[in-house]
Amino acid sequence: MTSIKQLSSILKSVQKPGRYIGGEMHSIIKNKEDITHRFALCFPDVYEIGMSNLGSRLLYHTLNSDPHIWCERVYAPAEDMKARMEEHGIPLTAIESGEDVRVFDILGFSLHYELCYTTVLSMLKLAGIPLLSKDRTEDMPIILGGGPCAYNSEPIADYFDLMNIGEGEELLLDISHLYMQMKADGSYSRAAFLHRAAAEIEGVYVPSLYDVTYNEDGTIAAYTPKYADVPKQVKKRIVKDLDKAPYPDKLVMPYIETVHDRITLEIYRGCIRGCRFCQAGMIYRPIREKTPETLCKQAKCLYENTGYDEISLISLSTSDYSRLRELTDQLLDWTDDAHVSLSLPSLRLDSFSEELMEKVSSVRAGGLTFAPEAGTQRLRDVINKNVSEEDLLRSVRIAFRGGKSSVKLYFMNGLPTETYEDIEGIAQTAKRVIDAYYELPREERPAGLGVTISVACFVPKPFTAFQWEKQDSFDELIKKQSYLRGCITDRRIKYNYHEAKVSFIEAVLARGDRRLAPAIAAVVEDGAYLDAWEEGFDFDRWMRAFEKAGVDPAYYTTRGFGLDEILPWDVIDCGVTKKFLLREREKAYKGETTPACSEHCSGCGASALGGKNRWCK
Amino acid sequence: MVQVKNLPYLTLRFKFYKKGALQYISHLDLVRTMHKIIVRAGFPLWYTEGFNPKPKLIFGAPLSIGCESECEFLDVRITERIDAESAVTALNRLMTDEMQVTEAYYTETKFQDMAYLGYDFRLTLADGLDSMERIAACLAREEILIEKQGKSGKQKVMKTVNIRPQIRSAEVFADGETICIRAVLSSDPSDFLNPEHLVSALKRECGILREENLARECYSILRTHAYQRDMTPFR
Repeated sequence: MTSIKQLSSILKSVQKPGRYIGGEMHSIIKNKEDITHRFALCFPDVYEIGMSNLGSRLLYHTLNSDPHIWCERVYAPAEDMKARMEEHGIPLTAIESGEDVRVFDILGFSLHYELCYTTVLSMLKLAGIPLLSKDRTEDMPIILGGGPCAYNSEPIADYFDLMNIGEGEELLLDISHLYMQMKADGSYSRAAFLHRAAAEIEGVYVPSLYDVTYNEDGTIAAYTPKYADVPKQVKKRIVKDLDKAPYPDKLVMPYIETVHDRITLEIYRGCIRGCRFCQAGMIYRPIREKTPETLCKQAKCLYENTGYDEISLISLSTSDYSRLRELTDQLLDWTDDAHVSLSLPSLRLDSFSEELMEKVSSVRAGGLTFAPEAGTQRLRDVINKNVSEEDLLRSVRIAFRGGKSSVKLYFMNGLPTETYEDIEGIAQTAKRVIDAYYELPREERPAGLGVTISVACFVPKPFTAFQWEKQDSFDELIKKQSYLRGCITDRRIKYNYHEAKVSFIEAVLARGDRRLAPAIAAVVEDGAYLDAWEEGFDFDRWMRAFEKAGVDPAYYTTRGFGLDEILPWDVIDCGVTKKFLLREREKAYKGETTPACSEHCSGCGASALGGKNRWCK
Repeated sequence: MVQVKNLPYLTLRFKFYKKGALQYISHLDLVRTMHKIIVRAGFPLWYTEGFNPKPKLIFGAPLSIGCESECEFLDVRITERIDAESAVTALNRLMTDEMQVTEAYYTETKFQDMAYLGYDFRLTLADGLDSMERIAACLAREEILIEKQGKSGKQKVMKTVNIRPQIRSAEVFADGETICIRAVLSSDPSDFLNPEHLVSALKRECGILREENLARECYSILRTHAYQRDMTPFR
C-alpha cells in the first residue's frame, strides 16, 4: 500500500501538507533489521497540537533510547486530508517510516482531553482496525491508552486493549519488554499477553479482565477481576526520582509552526496546592522536584541542540517551585547573552513579584494571565484557591508598573455553592483591576489598558474533592453567563466564556461508565471528528447519539453521584485516597481551606507511592 | 562594507537545495527554521537593533509549496569575515539530507538583479504521453489564461489573467513515460509567475491531473536556475 508521503498530488491538494511528511531534524529513523519492536505514539489531534505535547516528546525519547525499539509518531489527519484518505483508500500511516500502522506491535494513544475520544475511534477506523477490543485478531497491534483521561477511561474501555495508569517513562518500557519477551519465547497471544501485563506490571489496567455489574437503580454494583492474579484496584505508576528520569537531549524540530514551538523544561511534577476542582493537582501527586543543577544542564543541552530562542519552565504552578530564584538566576547567567527569553506560565497570584516579572520580561513584552477562579473570597475558600483579592490587586499593580498593560483573568462558572452574588463578584473583581490601573500616577501607567475575563464552566472530574458534585444544567450555565454579561458595565473589560454545551459533554465523558461506549461509536458513525475544535463539535450530533444508544446524559451530569456509590473510576488507585477527598469535600461546604503541602502535610495518601520529594510526611 | 546605524556587517550568501518532503514546507516555515539553524551554527551574527533583536536573514525569490529547488539563496549578515567553506560544513551538519548548502560566498549583488528562474516540470499521467502534443500546443499559444484570485478594491474576486508574457521559454519533451517541460519564467517581483500557475493552466486547457486521478497521476516541479535580465547566471 502506498503511503501518504508518496502521493504528491494529494499532498499538493490539502492545507498545510507539512503536517504529513516528517523528515524533521532529530526525528528518529531506525534500520528495521536492527529492531524487534515497533511502537507508534498516536496523538488524537492534528500535528501542530501533538508536536506541542511534552508527554509525547518525553515518551518518544524514552522508547527510542532502547535500541531494540523503534518508536514513531502518528497524528490525526486534518478534516480535508481525512476525506482524501477515505476517498482513495489510503490507510493511517506513521510519520517516520510512512508505513501502515497495522504493521506495528503497539499503538499508544495519548488521552489528553475527553473530547478527543471521537478522534481516537476515527483513527482506528482509518487504520482499518476493529473498534472493539474483542473483535481484534492475533495479527493486529495492541491498542493502548494513557494520559490524564486514562484515570477514568470507562466510556472508551471497550475500545482499548490496555490502559496505562500513571507516568509512562518506565511503564511503557515494561509493557514493550514483556511483549518482546513473549514474542521471542513463542508464548505470545493477545489474551496471554494482556493477562500477564495486568498481573505482573504495576500501572496496567486491562478493562476486558473486569466484569462490571449494575444495581437496579443504574449505579454500579461491583467490579470483579476475571482472574485471581489480576489486581482488584490498579495502582498508579510514578517515576520516583525525576533527576534520574530520562529527558530528551534533542527535540524533534517541526518545520511548520506548532502551538508551543520552544524548549519546554518540566521543573517538577505534582502540585502543592489542593484546589478542589482540579484533577491535575491530585492525579500527578506526590510532588517531585528536579534540582536546579539538573534543569540547567538540560536547558543548556537543549538550547545547543535546537537553537530555540525561548525556554518555558513548566509545571502545574511554576512559582511554587521551591528553588525558583536559584534556577532563574542560573539560567539568566547565559540566556540574556544568547538572546533567549524565559517564559514562566502558570504563575500564582500570591507569589508574583517584581523580581520575577523582570526576569520573565528581560527580552520580550506581552500580557499577563492570572487565575482567581472565583469572584468572591467565600467561593475561593470553598474551592481552596487560597488567594485573596489583595493578592490580585498587588500583582496587577506590579504588572502595570512593569509596563504590562493587558491582564487576562480566568474564572469559572457553576462551581459548587455558587450564587449570583459570586457571579457579580467576577465583574466587580475585573472592575477593581481597572481601578488599580487608574490609581497609579499617570506617568507609571502603560498605554493601552486591557482587561480580559475568560470564564470556563465547572466540570466535575474524577479524583477531585468535587468528583461527586452535580453539574449545573446548561440552561442554568447559560443563564449565569448572560447574568455576568449584564454585570459588566465597563467596556474596557473584554468578556469571553466557554460554550456550556461543550462542558456538558465533557462532564458526561469525564464521569461516564462503560454503558457510554455505544454512544461514542454512534457519534463517530454520525461523522464526529476533531471534536476538541470548535468547528468539529456538534452538540446535536452528541444528543442524537445518546438517544440512539439509550443513554441519559443527565445521569452523569446534573444527577450528582452518591457518596457511598461505587464510582466508575474506583478501580483505579491514584495515590490520593477517597477518604482524603471526602474530607476535602466536607471542608469545602464549610468554607474551610486546606494549606499547601509546603506549609503542612494534610495526609492525602500520595506519599504511599514513594518518590523523592521534600514535603510529604 | 556597508554601514547601518554605525554597525558594520558583511553579507555571506548561501546557495542551497530543498528537496523531497521539504517541498511541502512553506516559505514562512523555512524562514523560521533557518533562523534556528543559523543561530545554532554559531556565526558572528549581526543583530537588528531595537527591543527584540533578531539576526538578519534575507531570502531570494520565495518557493511555493510543492516545488523542489536546487537553486535557493539565503543572505546572512555577519559582523566579521569567516571562512565560507567551513560555514557550509557547519550549516550542513544542522540540516537533514533534503536540505543542504552547496556553496557560500561573499557578495554585494542584490536579489533584485534576479530576473528569471528556470524550472523542470515532470508530469506522470495515467495515459502516458498521450497529452504531450496538447501540452506543447497549449504552451505555443499567444495567450494562456488562468483563473486567479485578485483584488478589486478590498474585495476578493476571481480574475482571468494571461500568463503567456511571463513565460520566457518552454520546451516540451519525453523522458520515458514522463512528460517533461523545461521552462524559464519571470521572477521579477512585479511580474512573478508562480510555476504552480502554469500547471493550473495545463490542468484547465489539457484536462490532465483531474481530481479523480489524484492517487494515480502526479507532477513535480524543480527550480534549477536563476538568471539576470541578460540571461547570465545570477550569483
